[in-house]
Amino acid sequence: MIRSLTAALLAALLSFTALAQDAPHTIEMRVDGLVCAFCAQGISKKLGKLDATQEVLVNLEKGMVAVALKPGQMLSDATLREVLTDAGYTVQGIEHSAETLDQVRSRLKAAP
Amino acid sequence: MSLIRCFGVLACLLPAAAFAKPIAYQGGTAVMGEYGAGNMQEFQVFYAPSYRWSLGAAHLRLDDEDQTFSRDISYVRGNLLLKRWNLPRAQANVFAWGGVGSASGDGFEGHKAAWNAGGQADYETLRVYASARTDWQYAQDAFSHRIDTVQLGWAPYAHDWDRLATWFVLQGRTYTGGLYEDVEPAALVRLFRNGSWGAAWVDAGVTADGKLQTMFMLNF
Repeated sequence: MIRSLTAALLAALLSFTALAQDAPHTIEMRVDGLVCAFCAQGISKKLGKLDATQEVLVNLEKGMVAVALKPGQMLSDATLREVLTDAGYTVQGIEHSAETLDQVRSRLKAAP
Repeated sequence: MSLIRCFGVLACLLPAAAFAKPIAYQGGTAVMGEYGAGNMQEFQVFYAPSYRWSLGAAHLRLDDEDQTFSRDISYVRGNLLLKRWNLPRAQANVFAWGGVGSASGDGFEGHKAAWNAGGQADYETLRVYASARTDWQYAQDAFSHRIDTVQLGWAPYAHDWDRLATWFVLQGRTYTGGLYEDVEPAALVRLFRNGSWGAAWVDAGVTADGKLQTMFMLNF
C-alpha cells in the first residue's frame, strides 16, 4: 500500500516537473532608450545568441523587450540586464511570466 | 542666411529637431553612402566592436558649386560615443570622431596627408528626430573644408521594428573653403526597414536649387 502510494506520488511529481518544464517561460524587460530600428536589430541579435533563448520580441512603441526561453532553460535577471546594458540601453524592470511570446505580443499591441 | 537662423526656422516648423549614427550597435557593420547635391559624395564602412566605438574606412569626394575644383579624400576613422541619455521612449547621443588619410585634387601637387575630425549631437523619439553634425577635412597647405549639417525629422506614425518607418526630414547644410556659398536647405523622405538580414534605410529629396540629395545605410 505504502509502496503504491509512494510510486503514485513520484509519478505525479515527475509529470508535474515535466509539465513545468514544458510550460512557456517568457521574460519581459522595460527598456529606456529603445527608439530606433537599429536598436531593435542590435538587441534582437544579442539576445538571440544566448543558448537559452528561443525567440525575441522587441516592441519599440511600448519600450519593451521580451525573451521566450527554450523548455527547461533559464536566464538570470543579472545576465539579461548585463546584455542590455552592454548594448547601450537602460533596463528599468524585469518580469517573468508563463505567457507565450505570441500572447505577450498580442497584449502589448492591445495596450493603449 | 546663417546656419543658426536656418535651424531656428526649421525648429519652428516641427515640434523637435534628428539622424545617421556612426555607431549602430555592438557587433554591427554599417555601410553608408551619400550623394550631396553635387558638392559631396561619400562612401563609408564601419564596424562597431562595442556600442561605444567603431572603426572604419571611407572615401569622400568634394566638388565646389561651380565645378572649378575637387578633392578626393580616402581615410580611416574612429568614432566614439561620448555620452548617451536613455530616456523613456527617447534617446540622445553625443558622438565625436577623427581620422587620417590621403587626399588628392586641384590646387596642390600629388597626394597629401589629410586629417578629419567631427562630432554629432542627436535626439530621437519614435516620432521626432533632431541632429546637428559637423565634419572638418584638412590638409596642410592644400585645403580646409567644414561641412555642418542640421536635420529635423518627423514621422507621421510611430513605427515598430517590424514595420516600414517613414520620416519627413528637413536639412540645412553649409560648406566652407569655397565649396558652396550660403545655406543649402533640402527636403527629404526617409524609409527605414528591418529584416532578418539586418536593417536598411534610404532617403532621397531635393535641395532648394533642385539638386538631388540622397543617402542609404545598411546595418548587419
